[in-house]
Amino acid sequence: MIGLVDANSFYASCERVFDPKLEGRPVVVLSNNDGCVVSLSAEAKALGVKMGTPWFKIRGAADHWGLVARSSNYELYGDLSARMHELVGRYGAFVEEYSIDECFLHVNAERTDLMALGREIRARVRRHVGLPVSVGFGPSKTLAKLANHGAKRNTRLAGVCDWTSYSAEQQARILDSYPTSETWGIASRLQRRLAERNIHTMLQLRDADPAVIKKTFGVVVQRTVYELGGISCIELEPERKTKQQIISSRMFGHPVTDPATVEHVLSVYAQRATARMRRERSVAGLVSTFAASSPYADGYTSAWGQAAFAMPTDDPVAIAKAAAASLRDRLRTGTRYVRAGVMLSALSPASSHTFLPLFQPDYDHRGVGELLDRVHRHHGEHTLGLGMAGMRLGPGFEMRREMLSLRATTHWGELATAHAA
Amino acid sequence: MLLVLGQVDPEAPPGGAFTPVSAAVSAGFPSPAQDHYRGPIDLNERYILDKTSTFVLNVAGDSMIGAGIYDGDQIIVDRSIRPDYGDVVVAIVDGELTLKTLARSDGGPILKAENPRFRSIPLEGEQELVIWGVVTWNMHPHRP
Repeated sequence: MIGLVDANSFYASCERVFDPKLEGRPVVVLSNNDGCVVSLSAEAKALGVKMGTPWFKIRGAADHWGLVARSSNYELYGDLSARMHELVGRYGAFVEEYSIDECFLHVNAERTDLMALGREIRARVRRHVGLPVSVGFGPSKTLAKLANHGAKRNTRLAGVCDWTSYSAEQQARILDSYPTSETWGIASRLQRRLAERNIHTMLQLRDADPAVIKKTFGVVVQRTVYELGGISCIELEPERKTKQQIISSRMFGHPVTDPATVEHVLSVYAQRATARMRRERSVAGLVSTFAASSPYADGYTSAWGQAAFAMPTDDPVAIAKAAAASLRDRLRTGTRYVRAGVMLSALSPASSHTFLPLFQPDYDHRGVGELLDRVHRHHGEHTLGLGMAGMRLGPGFEMRREMLSLRATTHWGELATAHAA
Repeated sequence: MLLVLGQVDPEAPPGGAFTPVSAAVSAGFPSPAQDHYRGPIDLNERYILDKTSTFVLNVAGDSMIGAGIYDGDQIIVDRSIRPDYGDVVVAIVDGELTLKTLARSDGGPILKAENPRFRSIPLEGEQELVIWGVVTWNMHPHRP
């Protein structure tokens, strides 16, 4: 049996952990640059706010509604997510962290009272981490996902739903009430093609001929057909795959028209990406860069660049130089760039390389990377870096996050306060 | 205060063929302590019983002086512990995280201030919703 534990309105719920005033109030969390709604509480949903609603459209009514908006506090969400995953992991030997707010776990159904286990996990995550979660059980990942949806939607279930507790008739009725597009792994594009074959509901998809489905839509959709029928075909992936790439990419607060400034930004992003990569003890074989104008403005243009290293490296000097130089002559003076990014790829563990002295880059034995790591650990991330401005960018380049809450679990300077008054 | 974290020598000569030798394969007398050394003591091991439920908070105000908790201290709060009478707790009062002692009075449970200048708060109904976490340790600095 497979369980899916999924946090309700994850980002919005995280905002409530250190700010109980938000309990019971409509809360939304905004995307980078405070653009649009990326998470919303049930109270905000009830007001008609939707995922993706631009902030400027609801900003005027927010006070009237008593709606609270917050900028994305990724460090807080990441830390609370890690706590949640660790806690859920204690209930199963076999767990897959599927996303920041969801995780699958294997349960021995013969020896477990599923409803009791679900209630226990729910209560435990609520108490330990302060987050509300829902738990769905099913014989396959796809059905666990559906049961979880039911646990969220039907308040009478109190957050826990076991697919196998329903009779065959009840299961058929439930599947008949869902369109195919709500099936885990079925894209809306597929929905149209399925509809052409008269498959509109999950029930029709479950009862479709697997051989025909395989021929028409491929093995992935065939697997879904089996999964809906209760045959588990999609394995849990407990091994966390090593990162394939590390990206540092941002929208600017205002457009940049000067190529030299873009190069400076790329150098800073490259240093940030390198710092992250060094924490994971990896080295990169390839650095890719881009800068682009706004896709909403006329005359959209973008520039791409790439540099490969003769030997994979984690040296911030080499990487920053390569990144800054990679777009030289490709940036156009006068173009209004609003976005740039640096990607490190062809990653491998640093320990897997023995550097032949001959190929060792000049910078490595100076220990610049290590020294920077130590300074950043002691004095903060942006205190020292390469170039005139180090790792700092002007305020205009940083994300606009005007409604950012405290990073209360990852920064000593931003702890929450207990009032002794 | 100046703390030297390291030095970079821009004139450093190329590294050459230098092979570092680890202690495990070094010749000579091994340290007799080697087999017994398990690493230095780890504060987390003692002060954080469950890292999923433990948080650090700042203290603001003087109402808990009687319990040895002062303005500006930092407290370790474990949310997994079921609060008992006598525990110092972080409670939610009027939407704020509030530091009090969970105590029993004639009229039932109260959130007690540990300073006569501050009022205590009677608790009604669903107590568990009101308690955010239980304070396990207080970190009081002895130097500014």
